[in-house]
Amino acid sequence: MSSPAGVVEARSVYKVFVGRDGEARMALRDVGLTVGRGEFVSLVGPSGCGKSTLLNMFAGLVAPSNGSITHEGRAITGVNTRVGYVTQDDNLLPWRTVLGNVELALECKGVPRAERHARATDYLARVGLKGIENLYPHELSGGMRKRVSIVRTLIDESVDVILMDEPFGPLDAQTRLILQDELLRLWQGSGRTIVFVTHDIVEAIALSDRIAIFTSAPGAIKEVCEVALARPRDVFHIHESPGFSAIYDRIWSDLRDEILKARGADAA
Amino acid sequence: MPPDAQDAAAALSREQFLLAREAHDVITRRRNAQWRIHVSQAATLIVLLVAWWAASGTLIDRLFISDPISVIRAFIKVALDGTLAFHLQRTLVEMMCGYVIGVTAGIATAIAISLIPWGEKIVRPLMIGAFAIPKVALAPLIIVWFGIFLLPKVLLAASLVVFIVYFNTLAGFANVDADTLAAMRVMGASRSALFRKLILPSAAPYIFAAMRITLPGALIGAIIGEFISSNRGIGYFIAEASSRYDTARVFAGILSLLIFVLLLNLVVSWLERRASFWRPAPGAGEMKR
Amino acid sequence: MIAADVASETEVKLKDAALRQVRRGRLIAGAGVSVGRAVLIAAILGLWTYAAGRWVDHDAVSDPLAVLGALRSLVVTGRLWPDLWQTVMEVVVGYLAGAAAGALFASLFALAPSVERVLRPFLIAVYAIPKIALAPLIVMWFGLGIAPKIILAGAFVFFIVFMNAVSGIESVNPHHVNIIRVMGAGRLAVLRKIVLPTAIPFLVLGMRLAVPEAMVGAVIGEFISANRGLGYVVYSASNELNTAVSMAALVVLVLVVALADVGLGMIESALMPTHQAGREGRVV
Repeated sequence: MSSPAGVVEARSVYKVFVGRDGEARMALRDVGLTVGRGEFVSLVGPSGCGKSTLLNMFAGLVAPSNGSITHEGRAITGVNTRVGYVTQDDNLLPWRTVLGNVELALECKGVPRAERHARATDYLARVGLKGIENLYPHELSGGMRKRVSIVRTLIDESVDVILMDEPFGPLDAQTRLILQDELLRLWQGSGRTIVFVTHDIVEAIALSDRIAIFTSAPGAIKEVCEVALARPRDVFHIHESPGFSAIYDRIWSDLRDEILKARGADAA
Repeated sequence: MPPDAQDAAAALSREQFLLAREAHDVITRRRNAQWRIHVSQAATLIVLLVAWWAASGTLIDRLFISDPISVIRAFIKVALDGTLAFHLQRTLVEMMCGYVIGVTAGIATAIAISLIPWGEKIVRPLMIGAFAIPKVALAPLIIVWFGIFLLPKVLLAASLVVFIVYFNTLAGFANVDADTLAAMRVMGASRSALFRKLILPSAAPYIFAAMRITLPGALIGAIIGEFISSNRGIGYFIAEASSRYDTARVFAGILSLLIFVLLLNLVVSWLERRASFWRPAPGAGEMKR
Repeated sequence: MIAADVASETEVKLKDAALRQVRRGRLIAGAGVSVGRAVLIAAILGLWTYAAGRWVDHDAVSDPLAVLGALRSLVVTGRLWPDLWQTVMEVVVGYLAGAAAGALFASLFALAPSVERVLRPFLIAVYAIPKIALAPLIVMWFGLGIAPKIILAGAFVFFIVFMNAVSGIESVNPHHVNIIRVMGAGRLAVLRKIVLPTAIPFLVLGMRLAVPEAMVGAVIGEFISANRGLGYVVYSASNELNTAVSMAALVVLVLVVALADVGLGMIESALMPTHQAGREGRVV
């Protein structure tokens, strides 16, 4: 099923950032992660632990200082156009309609106009966003904009690895649950791989197959936790699932130490 | 256990090495880039000056563009013999008087208008209309009304300043945080206390922004006045030199005006920094990821 | 059933009453403002008329009626039109040339960002010079005809359009660029799909701000050296103490600028319907 090397992989990755003042900071320390094909993997950890940096490396936007990042066994050099990327802020282009935004990836890959239109309209209908094709982003609510931004990434079917950086962060709690549910329904059975950054443990448990827990900066992977809950998952009642508490406690106890460490470092 | 401790120590030193190497690489790269930019800038400047000197007299009549050496000579001459100081001082006085009057009038008018119920709305078309008049077009009339000495230049400068300060002050008043206002009123603050403690401080950034934007306007007003009728000031200096086709002097005048403005900008930035010491530096406090 | 009807009837009555109250309040406020404005204008005109001749020399300040009369005579005798045409020509040609040059240079910078970094201090220096200081130079170079006015107006416009366009280019959201690059966009696509649409509102704002500047440039040119044009009329008439004519010409100038701004606003809304409704240009 999944190749032994995994579809996306990080091996002994280090990252050093040098600030304007010349101060060098290690953001990632000896990070190793193998993401299997079709897996949903979450990265959780305290703020500033480097999980977004790792995601950016998979996207080819940042290069590791040491170690290797590979996609389908090939090292990533330069921007990786074979992944999808969903950012925290929806970052829809405000001068394009919803349709124009959704078509963006297909446009960049040279898909002819009629086909683009048809696929975009179809995808929007699939997530229940039919009818808003000609509206502009500023006319939509935050939740709708986020859904459009996710559709914009998923529509490119040539891309089978989707990177998501705290996509539901800025949304209110109810909308977040609804979108988590929607994401699962869109992903289930598609065979696509998702790497998902979040600091919401419940969200991570609800969505993922595995959860990588980061230490505080410099970030390393403290532990990788299997989430052996049955699929399809009910995000609205995930906390009632048998086994949920055990997983939650395990993750939280790991995380709490790291958060306290990070807090201590700040206060120092 | 020794082996583990050894491994840990090795890992640690490997990390230190990585950190140091990356820091060194990045810093070197940045420094090189800066160097390249500065060298290109110096090269551009030299190329321009040489081209100017070469073209003067050969491609283009020296009368029109003069040449770098004559201009520098003319500049040094008027700088050293006090002519420059003589004229710049007048312009500075005209400009600062106009500026101070404009700022004060703008803020005072905004306050006065705000005290009258619906005052702002009533006078708005008048203010916008007055603002729309190209003030420079008023210059001849202002000179007719106020004579040929200092006053018309001062008023011209003030006219370019006052409207922007007025509108910005009003905008500042309008942007007071409604929640804070409500909270203070519940606390029982009187009208004047509200004004002094909340409204005026909230409007301060807007007022300061206006003050920064209008400083060049005051200079422009002063210079225009000098163009039209004057016997002193840097604008007069330039206009007089151009009427005699003394191109080197014209360029010298423009050069000194440039230096004057740049110095003025430096002073303003310094003042701003002193006044805003309590503000966080840009970029500080950002979460570093 | 009946109780429900009564309840909804009360609802309707309450809504109507609330609406009526609000409308009445607005009408009163609107009327008050209009009355206030009328009073203000009457007061100013009245004060002007009263002061002329009593507190100040009448020849110097003229009075509203005389200005109106001068305006009328300028129009009726046809003296207005050649001067108006001259100034409008200067403004329009100068504006178009300056705006085109500004947009062109800004796009060159977008295509070669390294050039921008090198040239930045030069730009700051050039921008620091009050453009009017160049006026005598330009008149010296281009003589007495219509050319110096056009170039002066163009220079004023160029700077504003250029700076605003560059501002727009610098305001590009790096997240947008990242997202589209991950989608596979090359350099040209990034420029077309992200940089251009981001910069255009800034460019348009610059073009609107530049309209009165074009007028200023043309008028200053006419002050310094001209024998035609509205600015020249303002200047020469005031020298002859013919204040009424001077002011009349001024009124026409303001009308031209106002019309130009309205026109440009209409073009803007026609070309860019994506703009949020009610977005006012900030005076700052």
